[in-house]
Amino acid sequence: MALTITGLSKTYPNGVHALKNISLTIGNNMFGLLGPNGAGKSTLMRTIATLQEPDSGTIFLDGIDVLQQKDAVRQTLGYLPQEFGVYPKMSALDMLSHLAVMKGITNAGERKEVVEALLNQTNLWEFRKKALSTYSGGMKQRFGIAQALLGKPRLIIVDEPTAGLDPAERNRFLNLLSSIGRDVTVILSTHIVEDVRELCPRMAIIAAGELLLEGAPSEALAALNGKIWSKVVATDDELRALESELRVISSHLVAGQHEIRVYADSAPGEGFRAVDSGLEDVYFLNLSSQSAAKAAN
Amino acid sequence: MKLFWEFFSFELKVRLKSLSTYVYFAMWFFFSFLSVAAEDFITTGNGKQLLNGPFSNTILYMFFTLFGTIVIAAIFGTSVLRDFQRDTFQLIFTKPITKFAYLGGRWAGSFVTCVFVFSGMVFGEAIGSLMPWADHTRIVSGHAWWYLQPFLSIVVVQIFFLGSIFFLVAALSRKIVIVYLQGIAVLMIYLLLQAVFSATQSLEHFWSGILDPIGLQLASVIARYWTVAEKNSQLFSWSAYTGNGVFLYNRLLWIAIGFVSLGAVYQFFPMSVEALTAKSQGRRAAKAKREEDAELQPRRSLVAAQMPQVQQNFGSGLWFTQLVSMTRLRISNITHELLFWALGVLIAFFALVNGYFAGHAQETNVWPVTFLMLQSVENTAVILLFVVATIYAGELVWRERDTRFAGIHDALPMRETTDWLSKFFALAFVEVVLLLLVMLCGLIMQTFSGFHQYDLLQYFQELFLIVFPSVMGIALLAFFVQTVVSNKFLGHAIVLGIFIMQPILNRWNIENTLLVPTQSPAYTYSDMNGYGHFVAALAWSTVYWTSIFAFLAVLSIALSRRGAEDSWRARWGQARHRLPGLTPALGLFVLLVIGSGSWYFYNTHVLNTFYTQKQLRDFQAQYERDFKKYEHFPQPKIIAVDASIDLDPYHRSFSGTGHFVLQNKTPNPIQQIHITDQRQSVADVQFDRPFHHISSSFRDLYSIYQLETPLAPGEKLNMTFKVGYQSHGFRDGGERPELAYSGMFFDSGYFPTIGYSNDVEIDDPRRRREEKLPLLEDLPPRGDPEGSVTNLFTPSSDWISYRTTVSTPDDQIALAPGYLQRDWHQNGRHYFSYDMGDVKILDFFSYISGRYTVKKENYKGTSIEVYYDYHHPWNVDDMMQAARAGLDYYQANYSPFQFKQFRIIEFPRYRSFAQSFPNTSPFTETFFISRVLNPKKDIDFTYFVTAHELAHQWWAHQLIGGRVAGSNMMSEALAEYSALRVAQKKYGDAQMHRFLSHELDGYLRGRSGETRKEPPLGQVQRESYVWYQKGSLILYALSDYIGEDKLNLALHNFLMQYRYANADDSQSGPYPDTRMLEAALRAQTPADLQYFIDDSFEKITLYDNKTLQATSQKTPDGKYKVTLVVEGKKAYADGNGVETSASLNDLIDVGVFSGKKGEEKPLSVRKERITGGRQTFEFLVDEPPTRAGIDPYNKLIDRNLDDNSTDIVNQK
Repeated sequence: MALTITGLSKTYPNGVHALKNISLTIGNNMFGLLGPNGAGKSTLMRTIATLQEPDSGTIFLDGIDVLQQKDAVRQTLGYLPQEFGVYPKMSALDMLSHLAVMKGITNAGERKEVVEALLNQTNLWEFRKKALSTYSGGMKQRFGIAQALLGKPRLIIVDEPTAGLDPAERNRFLNLLSSIGRDVTVILSTHIVEDVRELCPRMAIIAAGELLLEGAPSEALAALNGKIWSKVVATDDELRALESELRVISSHLVAGQHEIRVYADSAPGEGFRAVDSGLEDVYFLNLSSQSAAKAAN
Repeated sequence: MKLFWEFFSFELKVRLKSLSTYVYFAMWFFFSFLSVAAEDFITTGNGKQLLNGPFSNTILYMFFTLFGTIVIAAIFGTSVLRDFQRDTFQLIFTKPITKFAYLGGRWAGSFVTCVFVFSGMVFGEAIGSLMPWADHTRIVSGHAWWYLQPFLSIVVVQIFFLGSIFFLVAALSRKIVIVYLQGIAVLMIYLLLQAVFSATQSLEHFWSGILDPIGLQLASVIARYWTVAEKNSQLFSWSAYTGNGVFLYNRLLWIAIGFVSLGAVYQFFPMSVEALTAKSQGRRAAKAKREEDAELQPRRSLVAAQMPQVQQNFGSGLWFTQLVSMTRLRISNITHELLFWALGVLIAFFALVNGYFAGHAQETNVWPVTFLMLQSVENTAVILLFVVATIYAGELVWRERDTRFAGIHDALPMRETTDWLSKFFALAFVEVVLLLLVMLCGLIMQTFSGFHQYDLLQYFQELFLIVFPSVMGIALLAFFVQTVVSNKFLGHAIVLGIFIMQPILNRWNIENTLLVPTQSPAYTYSDMNGYGHFVAALAWSTVYWTSIFAFLAVLSIALSRRGAEDSWRARWGQARHRLPGLTPALGLFVLLVIGSGSWYFYNTHVLNTFYTQKQLRDFQAQYERDFKKYEHFPQPKIIAVDASIDLDPYHRSFSGTGHFVLQNKTPNPIQQIHITDQRQSVADVQFDRPFHHISSSFRDLYSIYQLETPLAPGEKLNMTFKVGYQSHGFRDGGERPELAYSGMFFDSGYFPTIGYSNDVEIDDPRRRREEKLPLLEDLPPRGDPEGSVTNLFTPSSDWISYRTTVSTPDDQIALAPGYLQRDWHQNGRHYFSYDMGDVKILDFFSYISGRYTVKKENYKGTSIEVYYDYHHPWNVDDMMQAARAGLDYYQANYSPFQFKQFRIIEFPRYRSFAQSFPNTSPFTETFFISRVLNPKKDIDFTYFVTAHELAHQWWAHQLIGGRVAGSNMMSEALAEYSALRVAQKKYGDAQMHRFLSHELDGYLRGRSGETRKEPPLGQVQRESYVWYQKGSLILYALSDYIGEDKLNLALHNFLMQYRYANADDSQSGPYPDTRMLEAALRAQTPADLQYFIDDSFEKITLYDNKTLQATSQKTPDGKYKVTLVVEGKKAYADGNGVETSASLNDLIDVGVFSGKKGEEKPLSVRKERITGGRQTFEFLVDEPPTRAGIDPYNKLIDRNLDDNSTDIVNQK
């Protein structure tokens, strides 16, 4: 089971170059797609989900040409869009049953069973008869994942599922995602590094339509081992000085003071201490090298 | 104040930047422009009324502001809602602003915007009046006040109070739905109330005007009886003394309501964020609580549960299962919305109200037979069903995008066709449910009216075979439009535009059904024939247009949005993938369009010639231009007719031969015979002597034959001809109503007319102008030598002898005037031979054939016969009773009946009249279904009409006037009076007064709509409101003044002197005219009432009598002394309605009554000389009096009836 993306490019009519020659191979597991807002993640996801045409490139899912055989893809697809609404005054139970029919679960008994199981799984059983439009953001998102899991999807695409969820909701949601069976390709796009770190054996970072990195988070982390340094900066002047001298990956506020993280092969200076690299460092490092490259051009 | 300006100017700025402001302005500009520049784009009056005169302007502004209600609601509503929609209120209300500045600024800004927007009307009219092609005979310039006064007193006032009310509702509800719907709701409710009120036929003329917020009823109250002269010079007055001050009080009332609304909004609008958000915070809290509950649920294990194994079945049958589920979902979406139920309630409401009036047509009651009930319940419902189709097509096409569910929906493994079909079926379901609701309402109202002959088949045919396809056609079109456009509301506008294209295209003389979207030829259901001969054209045009829309709908499947991109490039790309699968459907519909279109074209343009209304008028005009010169060309007259006619009703055809005997009654030889063939039904004209054909015009409308030897004075000439008409296939509307499967009925108009016929001339002055024809020529004045020897009805003959043989299929009965000599069956046909014997008749005969049930009765030697359709047995006895009563009354008072039979024959309601041929009277279907519910109050229309048509056997068939001014009233007014008398004998005086009050209303409204000029009764030309309504009022009043017996004696003397005038060979005893009638009346009228004859017949006389005061005092001997103060006024009007006051010295009723208004019982009524000015009269009555007045029965023509009587004030 594998999804092979080759040379995918897309330019919108307004001139935005959303995808630039992206090639990726995604195997049978949870794949994290990381990137800032507007990086082209959703364009890529929608293209895989048959909702959009690229200008060039191909996508194959186990021999199915995704761009041509859309119906075949849709039959094995579970898709949770980044943002979605619901029909007003429609209960979760009715809606899920309906979507089950749409996904070819025509046996009434089976349909009832699977809908009940999904509602239980997503902790929505209690609210199954409530109108979807009265659901909170988290409940709606769980409904979204429930519908994406209907049937036996071999390809599941979840686009920014954790955006806007409170921490508890997010945890529950990620648990649910991680429980999805093993033989399924799951693509999770997010701009939250934590999501990927917690869930995905493999990941890619894209920004401004370009693929910056692809691999296992652990490999990426290993490459940074011992190269991340941290320092608490007291004044803005000092911060400015360090920014111009060093490769500052990121800065956090800690009790009102900037704690900066710097990428360097050896200790960059006084007051820096070596810290464990995190996935966030990988992410920010990739983004900053991309903008550095752009600036150089 | 500075803050106020801040908000005010902000509001204005927002509006100035908004496209909608300019669109609204342009819309009003455009409509007003067209209503002046394009004649009868909107009709505010007849062809004499100025297009931009004061009355037209007032009506236009009322009409536009009526629909402008929606615009007012949109502008005022959104101004206050804006902050809540965009959540900016949290910012605004935390600033130090005052309520006055905030609300006042917003309100004032909206007001100014609205006034600007609506001023488009004034500019549109003004610019329209400058257009070179406009009808400048009906446009004036230099009257700015005629624009401004109505604008100020109608439009600005309306904007003020409606705007304030909408502002109030919007500010207090702060709900977008309410803001958007309140305008349309007000409009709907208003139209409904207006419909209900006008259906009651109430003659109430004061409160109904004051309480009317929009003005339709108000205008009717104020200007109901205005003549054209008044409409072209008077504005609705701001004075309290004109027209009872109705207009002033109305405006004041609604301005006051506007102020109350403003006060209320200032009082009740909460100026704090807390109060404004209390409700939504409540909702938020509830939601938080729910989420908390969810948190507290027992946690499920983090280990993923094993999902049940399911089978996904993507086989070939899945699309159907998906379709069912998808359709159910869409239906459930619709039925869960308030809108659907609101539409349902609205449709049911209109259907029930209109259904109630199905049984109450005009002032009479009728049986609510199914076609009438359907007509009533459909009425508004069909428009709403089109609205439903338009709205829901939009909703369905955009649903997934509007709810943002598209992301999930579009990725489902479902074909576009399945998705599209689910939308189609959901909409079809909604329409079917609503149609069933309409049907249910119809059945309920039939039951409610005590009519139990439910015709479910007809309901089904009408609603599901005719209405449903046309509604779904619009739905298909709307699906396509909504798919193509990028905005739902733009889509609605386009669909609406296509929908209103029909009248616009028709106006531009594009009437071909194949070219006018949504058009289908008109049809009429008749109980005698069902949908009859209309079926084919209706069915094929429906197939044609539905197939076109279906073709577009299939294209819309190909173009439907799926996925994230909706650039046209992307959608074409998708369409290319989908099209191959859709090709068979596209091909099928193309074939259907071509097939049905060709067949329709073949029938309407090849088998039949297609002419637009304009072309037909061109023919008429051409005829008049070419042949009017022959109008006075001496021609022989027909003195005998013998015809043999074979009717073929099931093919709507007939054929036959005719034989005329013509006689030269002029003193000179006649060389040429001219023949007009109005209906393309005459061929092969031959004469009994050598002749040759000189010329024929286009369509053989006018042919001239030259006799080799001239016809000497007194000499007779035999003329034979073929007469017949063959129907071929079907026409694009305009089927001849005479020709029907059952109830075929045509008259002597299908036979040749000798000489030029005025009947062909166009009479509408506007159409005449359009054709560049001069004004229609009046009938010659009384005493005109030629007119005096020319028969009013049948100019090409005087009196004829008549016999005929007519045949028809075996299952029908064929009738023509005359006594049945014998009837026989031959070759599957039924032959009838009729002969009038020695009795001379007018050259006015008819051929009728139908499947009839017959009821006959011999009454004192006269056979009274009714030939009716078995569906309509109710009034047959009533008709026979009226015929008996009429025969008795007319023979006793006028003269003996000249025939031995009187036959009433039903014909289909393709035409709606009753007519009187010699001893033969065809009645339209509708007269067979009238019904008297309350004999005390209802007018028995059948009884009345029967008596009227029977009276024509005297007034027309015995006595006919010459072809001069006034003669028409001698048949119509006298027949109407005769019928009133017969009805009065059965129903009493009080009912006649009720009937006459409607006659008075009809007369006054008739003259206010006069397109030429109003003549006095004695010189009436072709004004039916004069010869029917005014005639009956005058004659009834006269009989009241001089006595019924005296009047009848006058009529008897007149009739005996002049009946069968001009019957001899030399035309030596000319036809009478109204001068002779007046002389006969004068002979029986006392000297002091002679003025009434002058006033009634030779002048247009209007009274304005009023009671100023009425008091009563109890006398010591237990009686009541009533003092009545009255004032009389009389005026004469000219033909344009310009009045000059006249001196008064007339006998007029004054009287005292007991009982409530409307149920008065006379205590003392006497005639008094009224001389003008205040006059006081005293009465002594026994019972407690309640009402008193002058001319209390409204016998005289008075435009203001309400002030004739008043309540009596009791003095202690």
